[in-house]
Amino acid sequence: MNVHPRARDYPKSSLGEMIPNESELTAGVKIEPGKQYGFFTDTTVCIGCKACEVACKEWNNLPADNVGLTGHSYDNTGALSANTWRHVNFIEQSSIQALGGQDLGGQDLGGKSVRDNDQAPFQSGWLMMSDVCKHCHHAPCMEACPTGALFKTEFDTVVVQQDICNGCGYCVPACPFGVVDVSKADGKAHKCTLCYDRLKGGLEPACAKSCPTDSIQFGELSDLQARAKRRVDELHARGVHTAYTYGTPDSPGATGDMKYLNAFFLLTDRPEAYNLPAAPTRPSNRVAPALVAGLATLGGLALAAVALLAGSSEGARHGR
Amino acid sequence: MDDKVDTAPRDGYYGAPNQPLPRSDSVHDAGDAAEPVATSRDRDMPVRPGWKGPTYYGRSQLKAAPFDPWIVGGYIFLAGMSGSSAVLSNLAELMRGKRAEAVGRRSRYLSMAALTLGSVLLIIDLDTPQRFYNMFRIAKRTSPMSIGTWILTSLMPFAGVGVLAQLGADLFKIEGLNKLARIGFAPAALSGAGLSTYTASLLSATSTPYWAAQPKELAMRFAASSVASGAAALTLGAKSDANRRTLETISAAALVVELAATAMSHKTVKAKGVGESLKSDWAKTEEVAALGFGVLLPLGIYAATRLRGRTPTAANDLAALATLVGSAMLRVSTLGIGDDSASRPEVSLRFSQPENLPRSRRR
Repeated sequence: MNVHPRARDYPKSSLGEMIPNESELTAGVKIEPGKQYGFFTDTTVCIGCKACEVACKEWNNLPADNVGLTGHSYDNTGALSANTWRHVNFIEQSSIQALGGQDLGGQDLGGKSVRDNDQAPFQSGWLMMSDVCKHCHHAPCMEACPTGALFKTEFDTVVVQQDICNGCGYCVPACPFGVVDVSKADGKAHKCTLCYDRLKGGLEPACAKSCPTDSIQFGELSDLQARAKRRVDELHARGVHTAYTYGTPDSPGATGDMKYLNAFFLLTDRPEAYNLPAAPTRPSNRVAPALVAGLATLGGLALAAVALLAGSSEGARHGR
Repeated sequence: MDDKVDTAPRDGYYGAPNQPLPRSDSVHDAGDAAEPVATSRDRDMPVRPGWKGPTYYGRSQLKAAPFDPWIVGGYIFLAGMSGSSAVLSNLAELMRGKRAEAVGRRSRYLSMAALTLGSVLLIIDLDTPQRFYNMFRIAKRTSPMSIGTWILTSLMPFAGVGVLAQLGADLFKIEGLNKLARIGFAPAALSGAGLSTYTASLLSATSTPYWAAQPKELAMRFAASSVASGAAALTLGAKSDANRRTLETISAAALVVELAATAMSHKTVKAKGVGESLKSDWAKTEEVAALGFGVLLPLGIYAATRLRGRTPTAANDLAALATLVGSAMLRVSTLGIGDDSASRPEVSLRFSQPENLPRSRRR
């Protein structure tokens, strides 16, 4: 691995001060306002260690949601929430469907067990994916927010301003990915900030920095998209024909006027297997049709009312 | 962003809505041809009741709105009723002048009372209610909640002038105040039209499948229900038989439109694959309370009383009350069905299939 030349300036493991533009050393990218940043999460190298979940909780001081067991896989986190901004999905290629006797395609497995699958040997039938807020280009949560608490930062990421949010909760159903959540503890909406505070200080986001396999990569969006394309080509060349990107322009996840997602993924199974919508849409495109249809209906009934009011009171005009 | 990055789909992987899905060669094509996984290629296939493909251990893919169905549903009902009654009373006073003065009077008091109560409900439903004023920081056309905030705010001064002048006229018998009440309240008709309709876009402009599947149909239902409830509320306590009869006819006409819109709504919801949500408990509540009690019962009563004679009876009051309860229950149960649809992955994953993309926005 190439070591950044500047890294030689900091030989000690404990430092007295922050390293300026540390992200150059750890992620190979300088963080500057006005540029677009995001995550490229390559699920083919995720090992399910959950270092990203831990790093996120530690940096952002987030409490645990639940210390119990879900009972369905190594995923005991469950879902993204107000307190959980990275969530590692664990998909055992045949075990889920074995619950219903079906495989991922909805076919009957005929009583075959988890081990009797036709998976390629890599990953032994497990898919892992570290899910996160997608920091959508046309962010539905931000478009829905009536207070302006949700905003686009100078790094093209989407952040909730905690001193503005009044907990109306409208961003929650707006999100096509089920990411944003209102905390019952403080009555405000919370989600991944793409470590806005760290970016301001020239640091790579905590989850990406902690990822031991570089499954989570942080960088400039155009650079990440080019990297993702190269990775997909490489996987295809190696025989993993199912690899594709989710959330890059003109791919699943970037449908319905969503354009692209700043945090996008490389997947090897259907989006639904990872609990992702195959074709999300931009909710704000439904504002105008609903308003027009409603006003047209009301207008029609108002016209009928005018006709009825005029019809049965011909003599009333003299009374004015 | 570098536009030269080629992420265009190619054969062999799921790169675009029209591309085959992964593992299609190994698993999917080997399946029963009559029961394929829903993809854009299946557009000609019969609509499937729910998503039969993978879900993530049956866990929700979306988060349901944190709104309390009773509180927010109650607000939507009050907004629709007061908004529509403002529209109708202004039309009545415009067309019938002094003869409809009592209708205008009731509408002014009703609007102010419903708006005040409705605003309180909205603030109660916030998780940080002491910051409700942050709604006034911005105006945003992509957010129906922001649009609604400003419609509600714009109605306040007109309803305020109307109700204060009306109060003065009623208490001190000053004739001029009656005119001020009428003129001051007139612009409320415009805000009222917005207030009784925007709430459908409030729900449709989300990712909740049941609401997002039917922006137009939901808007028609809500608008018709608003007019029906606004007219019904104005008939309660009405003395003039002529005005009452007309308002009842308007209410009945709106109920018929609501009935038609309900049929369209159910058809659309099923066509978009969200039909499973119509089997929820909230959907049964809607059927009984909103449709049976709130639409069919008043329509029956109106038809029966018209056939028997013209004098309003207690049955007419019951019809009006049933319309109001039904209109409220339509909103409450719509919120409930929506929350249910959002929390069920087989519904939300089925709804977010490429075939449901708007034609012009397949990508």
